[in-house]
Amino acid sequence: MGGKTCIARARKCSDKSHSSMTTAPHILGIRHHGPGSARMVLRALQDLKPDAILIEGPPDAAELIEMAADKEMTPPVALLVYEPDAPQSASYFPFAEFSPEWQAIRHGLKARAEVRFIDLPRSLRQLPAQSAPKAPTAPTSNDPEAQPQTPPSRIDALEQLAHAAGYSDGEAWWSRLIEERRGEDDPMAVFDAIREAMASLREKFAGPEHDSSRDPEEVPREAHMRRSIRAAIKEGFKKIAIVCGAWHAPVLTQQFIDSTPAKQDDAALKGLEKRRTAATWIPWTHGRLAFDSGYGAGVVSPGWYEHLWVHHDQIAERWLTSVARLMRAEDLEGSPANIIESVRLSESLAMLRGRAAPGLEEFNEATLSVLCGGNPLPLKVIERKLIVGEKLGAVPSRAPAVPLQRDLEATQKSLRLKVSADDVVLELDLRKENDLARSRLFHRLALLEIPWAEPQEDAKRSKGTFRETWKLQWKPELSICVIEAARFGNTIESAAAARVAFEASNAKSLPPLTRMLDHAMLADLPGAVASLLQAIESVAAISADIGNLMEAIPSLAGVLRYGNVRKTDAALVLPIVRGLLIRVCAGLIPACTSLDDDAAAAMLGRINAIDAALGTLEDKEFSEMWSERVLALGDSQTHGLVQGRCWRILFDGRKVESQTIADRVSLALSPGNDPEKSSAWLEGFLSGSGMVLIHDPRLLALVDAWVCSLAPDVFERTCPIGRRTFGSFAPPERRQIGEKLKRTAGASPSVSGSLAAATGDYVAARGELVLPVLREIFGEITL
Amino acid sequence: MTTATLRETAEKQFASELASLAKVDDKPRPAKWKLSPWAVVTYLIGGKLKDGTIITPKYVGNQRLMEIAVATLATDRGLLLMGVPGTAKSWVSEHIAAAISGDSTLMVQGTAGTPEEAIRYGWNYAMLLAKGPTRDAVVAGPVMRGMTEGKLVRVEELTRIPSDVQDTLITILSEKTLPIPELNEEVRAVRGFNIIATANDRDKGVNELSSALKRRFNTVVLPVPDTMDEEVDIVHRRVAQLGKSLEIPAPAPALEEIRRVVTIFRELRDGKTTDGKAKLKQPSGSLSAAETISVITSGMALASHFGDGTLKAADIASGMIGAIVKDPVQDRVVFQEYLEGVVKERDGWKDLYRACKEVL
Repeated sequence: MGGKTCIARARKCSDKSHSSMTTAPHILGIRHHGPGSARMVLRALQDLKPDAILIEGPPDAAELIEMAADKEMTPPVALLVYEPDAPQSASYFPFAEFSPEWQAIRHGLKARAEVRFIDLPRSLRQLPAQSAPKAPTAPTSNDPEAQPQTPPSRIDALEQLAHAAGYSDGEAWWSRLIEERRGEDDPMAVFDAIREAMASLREKFAGPEHDSSRDPEEVPREAHMRRSIRAAIKEGFKKIAIVCGAWHAPVLTQQFIDSTPAKQDDAALKGLEKRRTAATWIPWTHGRLAFDSGYGAGVVSPGWYEHLWVHHDQIAERWLTSVARLMRAEDLEGSPANIIESVRLSESLAMLRGRAAPGLEEFNEATLSVLCGGNPLPLKVIERKLIVGEKLGAVPSRAPAVPLQRDLEATQKSLRLKVSADDVVLELDLRKENDLARSRLFHRLALLEIPWAEPQEDAKRSKGTFRETWKLQWKPELSICVIEAARFGNTIESAAAARVAFEASNAKSLPPLTRMLDHAMLADLPGAVASLLQAIESVAAISADIGNLMEAIPSLAGVLRYGNVRKTDAALVLPIVRGLLIRVCAGLIPACTSLDDDAAAAMLGRINAIDAALGTLEDKEFSEMWSERVLALGDSQTHGLVQGRCWRILFDGRKVESQTIADRVSLALSPGNDPEKSSAWLEGFLSGSGMVLIHDPRLLALVDAWVCSLAPDVFERTCPIGRRTFGSFAPPERRQIGEKLKRTAGASPSVSGSLAAATGDYVAARGELVLPVLREIFGEITL
Repeated sequence: MTTATLRETAEKQFASELASLAKVDDKPRPAKWKLSPWAVVTYLIGGKLKDGTIITPKYVGNQRLMEIAVATLATDRGLLLMGVPGTAKSWVSEHIAAAISGDSTLMVQGTAGTPEEAIRYGWNYAMLLAKGPTRDAVVAGPVMRGMTEGKLVRVEELTRIPSDVQDTLITILSEKTLPIPELNEEVRAVRGFNIIATANDRDKGVNELSSALKRRFNTVVLPVPDTMDEEVDIVHRRVAQLGKSLEIPAPAPALEEIRRVVTIFRELRDGKTTDGKAKLKQPSGSLSAAETISVITSGMALASHFGDGTLKAADIASGMIGAIVKDPVQDRVVFQEYLEGVVKERDGWKDLYRACKEVL
């Protein structure tokens, strides 16, 4: 294998160099976040005992280095460097427990060595023109450019080496050769070998044809690193160790520094425009160390690397056992017998591939094949919880705050909002500029899942759309939410928009999308609304659940109705609403057959919501389409509740003659019907408001007659439904209905009179008088 | 080789490849294996040997899957190949058996009527009546023969076998013995014996495996082909082979025609168009590569016997609709939507649109 011979060869030259130049800086070329690298760095530092450790990191954060030794500091953490004037552009430099740089910092602080960052300061970096005002399209859009540590060429370079060694990808090759090493070699020999390999690669990629794939800032960055090394030597440090990405190792050697005039490096750094930067530590997560989160120098498997860092032996047994335990915790099968088999399969796979020991690839394949029975779903859980891991770091409370936090604080201040741990109820009048801005902030925070303000149902809410009531309470865990949300952007507005766009592109079903739409509308994020609409359209196209489709209409109608006020293009929404309405109308009747009581109640809510929404739109085409369907639904065989409601909608909309309605009521309440169905019908018909009964004496008489015709036991059964229906009316309505009934009862006593006769009192004593005569006729009977 | 054989076994058809692999193979071989695990994977995936022999790929797809399959057999655990119909499960199992044991004929075909005797052993009733239960009266099934000879045994369509019969395999897999209680004897497997089962978990009329049985297998799921080109390649390769062995005079069809059918099947299977712009409803059938192959070959037969010898849209239309419209009501709607929404709009597909319209 290419790597091995390389290491052997390098051992020879390293012996030579060790003896000849003892004061030359020692270069430890590493893979960022590689546990093997970290272990080697640590051992090398323990052997070398350097008095200065220079690390490829942002000098902007120089004062923050000492905080790494703080007791409260728990990796994974990240250094965040940003421009206070333009918080949009920020760079993150994450560290995990197993990051070589982290181990180097900790070691240096403990050994009281000088620890310095020597990369090109963030303040001097000429980032590609920032498009700050534009809402970022992806939540991680500022990460890749923010990530200086892996120029694209290095990945390509690794690929080249990996292919030479017969591996399919560079990451796997490096991981196998360096990170999964158990550390039997002299670490300095390995570092020298790595440097040699990189030197030959750099030669290969030296031509201008590779310029495009290279970090454009490589030259100034390496010049700055050399300048810092020169300065350190000048200051009189005796033994210097340099921890840098492997790619940079060849150009930081004593030899290279000697052969490069300091003037040349100064020239490379000349003319760089300087900006003001600030830096802070923030907690980081393993999930965001992963490549998937868009972090350029990320690793595929932080959890796996941590496993390698923590454990020294029985890697396979420990790893697969934790996999099996996790599966058991998730209620899946993961017996010890299966662990044994998966260990065996992973070892046999490693053998087949000519590797000394199984690695993560083999473990995953063995897990899939043995523990999961070929089902890839549990593997997702394993990936999330073990391979990536869910670890959250912590930083000392004295560390400065993140830009999003700053933006939040600044917004809170400008809106005169107090942050307190107690409940505060706030009533907003949206006609006032300040309150409107507050409401927007709350909705944006809701979109970012920072639950500081919770909307409250309020009696006054129903009186007008210009009022909102919120309950505010600040909890300590919200700080974590803020940092969590910080990956989406550095201001509340841009982060909320980015988050919505991110969720929209991942949504599978309608309800979460429509819920977000409500917030996004009120949060005044027109860009986000557009991306949501697009997502809704594509999800609705394949949705088979009429219920979900129906629930989407009211919010969309809201966009359509108020869209122009809030600068959303109504032309975009109209076809979506029409498409949805067509689908809903087509599927409404089948969706309403065979509903049980609960499903009918849910359907009633949806029908009401759509009806109300269409009412606000005042679109002739829509309402005709809708009322035609409602009429058909009213005539179809469906739950009484829905049927009754349909007729009420038609009645309120004056789509049918009042005589027809009276006929319908009488039909629904006629004695041939099951009384329970009739009462459900009545509930549907009357729900919400009893005004019809007050204004139309015919309907009241029909209902009255129906109630009177019920047999006592049936009345008892249907009474709760009737009570529920009438109970929902406003008290004055109920009083008026009662008064009307009292009057009618007085005017036509015949109804109640006959009823009283039918159920008239029964006097036992009078009945007994007949018994002796009957006894005479029938003889003695025991009853 | 007799010309009358409709289909040769894998070990005969690729005898020369297996021989040259054995010649160059210097890696350690597990007991009774004809080739080392490395050579078996090479045989399946294809490649060029040191001596210049070209090994044709038998399985087009992820090499890692084949490595897992072969590594499993090297650990003495049973191998279960799962996948939707047409993902080359039986094809792979046949070739693995041919490469490892040099014999792919020890096979139990699973059906709804597979009895326990097919998996264990039967009796020669004449001898049983004449001499009573003796070892001579036992008729060894494929599994028993594989155990005594140290060879791989294939169980095809394991999930079609009734559940109680399936579980007969549990003892064989975990204890590696097959008891014959009538004789108070047992057959112990010699090294080299193992079982490759194929199963499909999506079709109608399958019996799910008991978890006791599932636990005793390592499962490898064979996926539908990843990319369009891979699928076109598979179909093209198989169509050329089939055309030769079925002596269809029509020349192998242009890649373009194959690509069209593959595109249609893929789009319907994935529920979206290849450009990712439109969502589609999915039909109930599985629309596997195997079905694409049969659509093309039947189209070729139609073209050569009734047409002018070149494959035209009309020749594939009926076969294609037959493969897509499995449910006469729902699938028909699906295909009609697809036809009107996608096929009609596509440049250069007018002929196909008209041909399909005529048949539907």
